[in-house]
Amino acid sequence: MKNKLKVLRAERNWTQADLAQALDVSRQTINAIEKGKFDPSLPLAFKAARLFEMRIEDIFEDES
Amino acid sequence: MQHSQSSTLAERNKKSNKVIFTWTLAWVLSLALLAFGPKFVWDFAVGYSIAVIVVNLFCGYKMIMANKMMLEGLDELQRKLHMNAMAISLGVSMIFGAVYGLLEGIRLIDFHPNPSSILVVMGLSYVISLLIGTRKYQ
Repeated sequence: MKNKLKVLRAERNWTQADLAQALDVSRQTINAIEKGKFDPSLPLAFKAARLFEMRIEDIFEDES
Repeated sequence: MQHSQSSTLAERNKKSNKVIFTWTLAWVLSLALLAFGPKFVWDFAVGYSIAVIVVNLFCGYKMIMANKMMLEGLDELQRKLHMNAMAISLGVSMIFGAVYGLLEGIRLIDFHPNPSSILVVMGLSYVISLLIGTRKYQ
């Protein structure tokens, strides 16, 4: 699954550690999601959407 | 940015590790007491041995609950890595245990298989699986 986390994070000048703390996950998890190696659960995707004040589908894009 | 949930995950992990360490240590010590106590301390008195078995089982139960608490405190990727490692460890231990138990009977080894060897295999396969999984998602 593609996502815009890295771009959104960079726009706000946040580090992976900042975003990880805001979403209550590890930095490794943020890194894995940004690289597309790990797809977040629906609750975590909603949490990210609330944090960035965007819709889930504007952050995450299904590749299939 | 605000860190309203600052170190929440780290705090949870730290607390879980401390609880796991405490109960694992208690379990190992009670197991050692059960192994050596009857012979060297209380001369095989049944009452003492049963009491230590009860303590050992209680410590084992608390250790299992501590592990469960640790899993629940992890984030979703960490939990996935641990669950995968557990699945692989369980499978490897089962396969190893089944073959290892037959080795003496089919005369490939001339000593009685020690069940504690399975614990070593279980631990090693768990750690190796966890390391491979962690590397995969880096």
